[in-house]
Amino acid sequence: MPASYEQAITLTGDLHARPAGALAVAAAKFSSAVSLTAGASSADAKSVLGVMGLGATTGQHIIVAAEGPDAEEAVAAIVAILAEATRVGA
Amino acid sequence: MSPDATVGIVLVSHSAALAEGAAELAAQISGGTVDIIPAGGTDDGRLGTSAAKVQRAVKLADSGAGVVILPDLGSAVLTVRALLGEAGDLPTRVELADAPFVEGVVAATVAAAGGGDIKAVLAAAEEARHARKL
Repeated sequence: MPASYEQAITLTGDLHARPAGALAVAAAKFSSAVSLTAGASSADAKSVLGVMGLGATTGQHIIVAAEGPDAEEAVAAIVAILAEATRVGA
Repeated sequence: MSPDATVGIVLVSHSAALAEGAAELAAQISGGTVDIIPAGGTDDGRLGTSAAKVQRAVKLADSGAGVVILPDLGSAVLTVRALLGEAGDLPTRVELADAPFVEGVVAATVAAAGGGDIKAVLAAAEEARHARKL
């Protein structure tokens, strides 16, 4: 059943190219539409250039939202990548 | 064609170093699961492009799902077009992307790593034209 789901996360590091790539590759595996919102900008999580273009940095609040049959799993997967990849020293 | 095959990427640049560097960067960002084959420089190592290098690169990049080629400038496009025009010289489905070199290969490779087919990978490369840096 299609659903929408969202979760917020505060970044503990900057969102660099490599985590942006990992995030887009992971998002592509879900059939739900997945978006990231940082302040006034939003990006399709499946677009690596869009995610990098957010220019999201440490301390910023990111909302991960998904809509579709696997929305909850998609949000959980993306939040986990954001938490892991932006950890200091990662 | 195998349903699990990943689309391959070929980078055609006038400079071997540029093609290799862009391939390295895209591999890091996309997690290293996609074949990205650089075809830069002439056969004798000067700046320029080589049809023979492109042909070899396409064969290496192909795992059954087709190959997307990104050219850097001008005559790289002509070299690839000439090859594509010679039927039988390339073993697989090949698409030439009209895309910025660095952003295009990063977007294309991530799309391929995510399981995109050749159309999706080509579209990701070409959409990179609209990506803003700032």
